[in-house]
Amino acid sequence: MADQLKGIWKDWRLHMLVFAIVALTEWIGVFSFTVGPGVVLLLPMLYAMLIGLGLFFTPVVKKKQALNAEPLIVLGVTLLIAKIGVIIGPSLPKLIEAGPALLLQEFGNLGTIFLALPIAVMLGLKRESIGMTHSVAREPNVGLIVDKYGFNSPEGRGVMAIYIFGTVFGAVFMGVISGFLATITPIHPLSFAMASGIGSGSMMAAASGSLVAAFPAFSDDIIAFAGASNLLSLSTGLYMSILIGLPLTEKMYTVLTRKKQRNAEIGKGA
Amino acid sequence: MLLKNIQEWTLLLLIFGVIAAVGNWVGYSVFPVSALPGMVVLILICLAGLILQHVLPVNIPSVAYIGIIGIIVSMPVMPGSEYVVKWTQDINILALATPILAYAGIAIGRSWTDFVKLGWRSIVVAMFVMVGTFLGSALIAEMVLRMQGLI
Repeated sequence: MADQLKGIWKDWRLHMLVFAIVALTEWIGVFSFTVGPGVVLLLPMLYAMLIGLGLFFTPVVKKKQALNAEPLIVLGVTLLIAKIGVIIGPSLPKLIEAGPALLLQEFGNLGTIFLALPIAVMLGLKRESIGMTHSVAREPNVGLIVDKYGFNSPEGRGVMAIYIFGTVFGAVFMGVISGFLATITPIHPLSFAMASGIGSGSMMAAASGSLVAAFPAFSDDIIAFAGASNLLSLSTGLYMSILIGLPLTEKMYTVLTRKKQRNAEIGKGA
Repeated sequence: MLLKNIQEWTLLLLIFGVIAAVGNWVGYSVFPVSALPGMVVLILICLAGLILQHVLPVNIPSVAYIGIIGIIVSMPVMPGSEYVVKWTQDINILALATPILAYAGIAIGRSWTDFVKLGWRSIVVAMFVMVGTFLGSALIAEMVLRMQGLI
């Protein structure tokens, strides 16, 4: 990180743009609307990202700004982590009490295999679906798939597709669905707080941010649980994929495609 | 070299801190002067973590050090932790997230060409991947927390 940081503080065009985006979006504030029994919350951070993305296509943002913005995300995340740290400190006894839930919910990350893999196969995707659905496709998982199958394999293309979607729209998507799911299901906001830590700082911030906006009474507990779970996901995510996620996906893929083939044959016979 | 880096980190954290403090003022009505001590504490925690990562020979990401330092200085057994907790309470976490995503929006424009090449099927699957991961974890957490009687 050392070399790429040189002189970025001097990119005043970039910092003034972000300053203007932040002032504008925080002034607009949280916008929420109901969909049936649920609530969709749109947080300032979500508009901030979309405005930033939109500006990239105007002459205001040049390639230099887009390049310089990258290390600032990393540095901004360090401040976010420091803030999460000082929230966790005083609630450490509570976190230890909830330790079993925190550890076990990491296995819930395998939920993607049971939900998304059948859908991918149904949509006619072949071995791409293994790369796509074995995990939530953050950096360590991309590394694993590329290492095992190669970058230009169907599995490699699959994991890259989900990685790209997550990079561009992950935070916006998680921010919208976390508030919505927490208001339409009977599941407790603290359970969703733990689920928010899926191994990406910005997705965790967006998902837990919506929960905080929807349930301000639990604000500190939500952040402490989400932050602790995100740290756990970051440190266990890769091993979870190697030991359970990927073998399970391979196995389920074989079962699902065999069944599909058989159905197709029966279809032809009739 | 390290000194040069510390200088760069400090400047960038200060710029980020000022932007976040203004967001904290506009969005959460905390006047920047009262947010100042909390922001300084957070920046110092970050700097300590970044320096540790640079100095220690083990390859652990700086955010791990920063998280741990944050936890240690705010634990009730630490002398002075009550100030750390009180001051940092004035920094709303959402005010820190907004500038991160503003910078991220500008940076990810470069991934846009890759994004538009994705087919609709990939986008549908991607959404179910995220919902599946999120709901899976929430369901297990709910079961365990209920069994323990914590919720």
